[in-house]
Amino acid sequence: MMKLMDRFNEHRINRREFIKCTAFLGGSLIASQLQWTQELMRRAEAGGLTPEEEYELIRPENILYSVCLQCNTGCSIKVKLFRKNGTAIALKIDGNPYSPFVSLPHLPYKTSPFEVTTLDMAICPKGQAGIQTAYDPYRITKVLKRAGKRGENKWMTIPFDQAIDEIVNGGKLFGHVPGEENRVVAGLKDIYVLRDPKLAKEMAEDVAKILKAKDKKKAVEEFKQKHAQNLHYLIDPEHPDLGPKNNQLVYLWGRKKGGRGDFALRFFNDYFGTVNTHGHTTVCQGSLYFTCKAMSEQYQHNKFGGGRKFYWQGDFENAEYILSVGSNLFDANYGPSNRNLRLIPRLAEGKVKLTVVDPRLNKAASKANKYLPIKPGTDGAFFSGIIQWIIKNKRYDERYLSNANKAAAKEANEPTWTNAVLLVKIDKNGIPGSFLRAHEIGLTPIEKRKDKDGKEFDFEYLVCMKDGKPIAVDPNDEKNPVRGDLFVDTEIRGIRVKSALQIIFEASSVKSMEEWSRICGIPVKEIEEVAKELTSHGKKAVVDVHRGVAQHTNGFYNVTSAMTINLLLGNFDWKGGMIAASTYNTTGGKEGQPFDLGKLKPDKITRFGISIIRHDIKYEDTTLFSGYPAKRNWWPLASDIYEEVIPSIGDAYPYPIKALFTYMGTPAYALPAGQTNIEILSDVNKVPLYFACDILIGTTSMYADYLFPDLSYLERWEMHGSHPNMPVKVQPVRQPVIAPVPETVKVFGEEMPCSFEALLLALAERLGMKGYGKDGFGPGQDFVRADDFYIRMVANIATDGSPVPDADDREVKLFLDARKHLPKTVFDPERWEKMTGQNWRKVIYVLNRGGRFQDYKDVYKGDYVSNQYKLLINIYQEKTAATKNAFTGKPNPGYATYIPISTTLGKSPKEYGFEEGYPFHLLTQRDITMTKSRTIVDYWLLSVMPENSILIHSTDAKRLNLKEGDKVKIVSATNKEGLWDLKNGIKKPMIGRVKITETIMPGVTTFILGYGHWATGAADIMVDGNLIKGDPRRATGVHANAAMWIDPYLKNTCMFDPVGGSVSFYDTKVRLIKV
Amino acid sequence: MHRWGMVIDLDKCTACQTCVVACLAENNIALIGPEESAKGRTIHWIELVPYIQGEYPHVKVRLIPRPCMHCDHPPCTKVCPVYATYLNEEGIVAQINYRCIGCRYCTTACPYTVKYFNWYEPRWPDEMRGALNRDVSIRTKGVVEKCTFCHHRLLKAREKAKAEGRDLLPEDYVPACVEACPSGAMYFGDLNDPFSTVSQLSRERRAFRLMEDLGTEPKVYYLSEGM
Repeated sequence: MMKLMDRFNEHRINRREFIKCTAFLGGSLIASQLQWTQELMRRAEAGGLTPEEEYELIRPENILYSVCLQCNTGCSIKVKLFRKNGTAIALKIDGNPYSPFVSLPHLPYKTSPFEVTTLDMAICPKGQAGIQTAYDPYRITKVLKRAGKRGENKWMTIPFDQAIDEIVNGGKLFGHVPGEENRVVAGLKDIYVLRDPKLAKEMAEDVAKILKAKDKKKAVEEFKQKHAQNLHYLIDPEHPDLGPKNNQLVYLWGRKKGGRGDFALRFFNDYFGTVNTHGHTTVCQGSLYFTCKAMSEQYQHNKFGGGRKFYWQGDFENAEYILSVGSNLFDANYGPSNRNLRLIPRLAEGKVKLTVVDPRLNKAASKANKYLPIKPGTDGAFFSGIIQWIIKNKRYDERYLSNANKAAAKEANEPTWTNAVLLVKIDKNGIPGSFLRAHEIGLTPIEKRKDKDGKEFDFEYLVCMKDGKPIAVDPNDEKNPVRGDLFVDTEIRGIRVKSALQIIFEASSVKSMEEWSRICGIPVKEIEEVAKELTSHGKKAVVDVHRGVAQHTNGFYNVTSAMTINLLLGNFDWKGGMIAASTYNTTGGKEGQPFDLGKLKPDKITRFGISIIRHDIKYEDTTLFSGYPAKRNWWPLASDIYEEVIPSIGDAYPYPIKALFTYMGTPAYALPAGQTNIEILSDVNKVPLYFACDILIGTTSMYADYLFPDLSYLERWEMHGSHPNMPVKVQPVRQPVIAPVPETVKVFGEEMPCSFEALLLALAERLGMKGYGKDGFGPGQDFVRADDFYIRMVANIATDGSPVPDADDREVKLFLDARKHLPKTVFDPERWEKMTGQNWRKVIYVLNRGGRFQDYKDVYKGDYVSNQYKLLINIYQEKTAATKNAFTGKPNPGYATYIPISTTLGKSPKEYGFEEGYPFHLLTQRDITMTKSRTIVDYWLLSVMPENSILIHSTDAKRLNLKEGDKVKIVSATNKEGLWDLKNGIKKPMIGRVKITETIMPGVTTFILGYGHWATGAADIMVDGNLIKGDPRRATGVHANAAMWIDPYLKNTCMFDPVGGSVSFYDTKVRLIKV
Repeated sequence: MHRWGMVIDLDKCTACQTCVVACLAENNIALIGPEESAKGRTIHWIELVPYIQGEYPHVKVRLIPRPCMHCDHPPCTKVCPVYATYLNEEGIVAQINYRCIGCRYCTTACPYTVKYFNWYEPRWPDEMRGALNRDVSIRTKGVVEKCTFCHHRLLKAREKAKAEGRDLLPEDYVPACVEACPSGAMYFGDLNDPFSTVSQLSRERRAFRLMEDLGTEPKVYYLSEGM
């Protein structure tokens, strides 16, 4: 027993003893201030509370409304404060009843905040545990500079101003680190070289000419002659299309929302002028976004453009049948608060039928009417079977699909329409290309038209067939309805054409139902039944997909197939059909909005050049084109390709970079095969300067040279926006509810907490950027503080469309009283009132409610949702069909089709011997209690699940002779040792405990994301010579991303979808070795 | 006299664990690490118990939230040598922490395993202590603790009603888990009132209780189709 207790004591560490360093919250003044609540509690137990202390939490002035960020859902929250001696701490977090994310129906917006103090709505366990994220003792409060090698976990605290100076000016910054005594680091001032907006614009225009030119050599020579004086601005004068040296600063972010996003892009894009600002979309559900972007491209003049990066999801509040594929409802996928409210009561009452398709029998499957197991990566085959059946049996919405233009859609009371009947040209190999233009068959000549600004352009009519005769179509024509024949396969004037729908039918018919069934493992009978069910509820049936469908090498086409089924049903913008998110505008520019932030950019610079991830551009158009395969992929249809940013930096393709800045993202932890990123980040030659902003020392930010403390989500501003399954128009506003934890710094003469914003403002000040400081927004409008930006945004929200009411005197007083604990560094009402003038009381009205929310009564209009998409949706993607795979040189199909899992070179992983001897298919899953990298700090959540495990089916366990709780190591063909090499001498093995379950397909294994950390408070670190012990509770469990396949051609990143950009999360085969 | 009871609709529960975390926060439940947890010493007044039947893919999965059943015939109170646990007049199985001598007879007697022994001095990271609920006392090492149906909320509600000069209304008193449920799957109220929601639901076709054959007469009812 004694021994047991000794062992036990080893595992419990008294934090009071070890966090002595004031660079951490745990060692700071605030920590001791927090202790008064303990004393208070003791008195409460003894019945000694003063009357003022009673019922503190239901007083309106002790409640602040904001937005959660424990996951991306962004539920609206009410944070309850406990006050003493002018300070306050957050004690409890509940749901905000004004918001549709946590209530159904939500309160009318006009309800007084005095009436709702006792109304607490439910949120999820992560949301409740958020206080522990904000008050995490491992949060940093001061700027840290690397004292040892990258990733060595040795730091020193330095003054904020010194850090800014060093980053801006560069020099021998790491002379104290062995091996770096003479390394000279380029500062931002040496990267920010092209500063003349006029010249930048001119050079950008001339580079565009090079991209269009047939003879690239000649075009480059012309450029060099014209810009002989300016060539020193360029990364490489022989390749002007790489752009200016400014592009050698790369900004990479993870979970960033509106507001902060706009703040950052103003700095990096509009003033620094780098094209390298990349998000993390492809690690989440990139191919879902970029498929929907491709489907939303609109026909403009003579080509498709203007697609929106967004996606559709089902309206679960009204759907009668939901086919949920690869979408982890109830554990993830924007819930549970929002999803459960809309789905659970209706499911329980039998008002909606749910079919779940997944290799895992997840929580949604346990609630579903039917569960269908599917082989991972074969969703496209399943969808092809459904498409084939629907078309063969004529169960599609014929009227909807036949509408060729807006006028026809209007006539049919359809908000949207498709290009299903338009004719596509087929080349001699039978491959569909672009749409037939009416002038090509002498039907209607090219028209000269004028746009809104009076600029003339060539308009080309497209063509559909009606009763066997070609008709010219303008898809956007609102006056003359055109309806076409659905299935066409013919020749007109020697041009072979097919209707778009014909192409889709043929692609779904290349295999029989039995063959599709064999590929996906779902019986034909079941595929047919699902197809029948989908087509038995009018507009109230949806195919709802998420990561499970998108995060494969064939993600783009899986999603295209799923959305094609929705188009066959014609359910877009209908109640119970597919819907899109709708938000109140923050950036201004609409009538009545006071601040057009898009235009308040004096002397902004034009950025140009190829990005480090080579997005939004065709390989063939550049001066780098040198045949196939390209060195790395090119991405004409996707952006924010997370898995390509650091690996491209590693390859210096298309060019080497000089500095990297990361924010709230950890590619090393989050990406499949993230260890490839660690290798590059720890190499100072590949990444000469790396600075980051984080609330603690994270699994990627631990490799930074400089680490700036940030504000947690309870201390900062953000405009959280919405999600595609939310029918209500919203704009939840995240605002400071507790005093800032990081140290106070001075920028532009103003005191402010060290933060993301303070960092960027300080860099702008030191670099002498236009658009900041006095008159930064324009004459009389200074930009010297974070709130100068965000309060203007709130004023825009308040005045979007019909403005919100003015707050009355009582509400104004409440606004001030509720924030009296906030220091002037983050709360300055006099300044804000001056800034917003007549809109000040509207700003208060919005902030007193945690954002702006459309009233429930206005959300639906008859059979439709009121926030509609109302545009053309491409069932055939002409723009996609005009792009080529950068490895094979073959054109990318522009329609729904099934493509097997393959490497970047288009080969089966089998050909590389990836599968032989690796019998398990590796998946990942999210549990309701964890959000990837950031919730391991919440002890309440760890209490629910202290450690994750490796799940396998009982038959597999028997076969391998594994028992519950046995430790196993995960290995794959590209990580045979099963290790995370942290490049700091530590190799963390991927070992976890086996959990045997009946809820997973035999032959498949999975683990819950969020465990197995090597930082985030889990590791021992040295700061200013003091040892800060890590908390072993944060290091438990297994994180098996490093086992995921590395692409055999690229060798330094995971496998991915070459069209939509998604990483391959669910394709790897692994072996489990008993330890 | 009230007779407090709970109904949990398993057809609505999505096993989101919100009730579990809400309870941890509300009742100052001490947190322990994975090593201790592996020894089965985690304290959860309400916990999700998995119930999986059948073979893949024909599997029926239920995760059953299991608080104290607050039995009308509780086996745990009968074995307590010091009267530290007892059935109070409103049907709540109460626990007097200061009286408990830590013999753990009750933890053994309870067929639902809802009584938890404090193997360790309760600890939290210092900064987290700031978020402790001042309405609930902290249990020391060596005593048994359990779900109280958030009894402190009842006391508070009663005081409030008294101060406002009115009778206690059933809606004045809701335990933290029920309040936090995002699916609306949990109900709480007076089983003595035949018209209360819990009374009506407890008589529903789908209603059942855990291990009814033991004769413990739990006051926590579950609803489930085909179970």
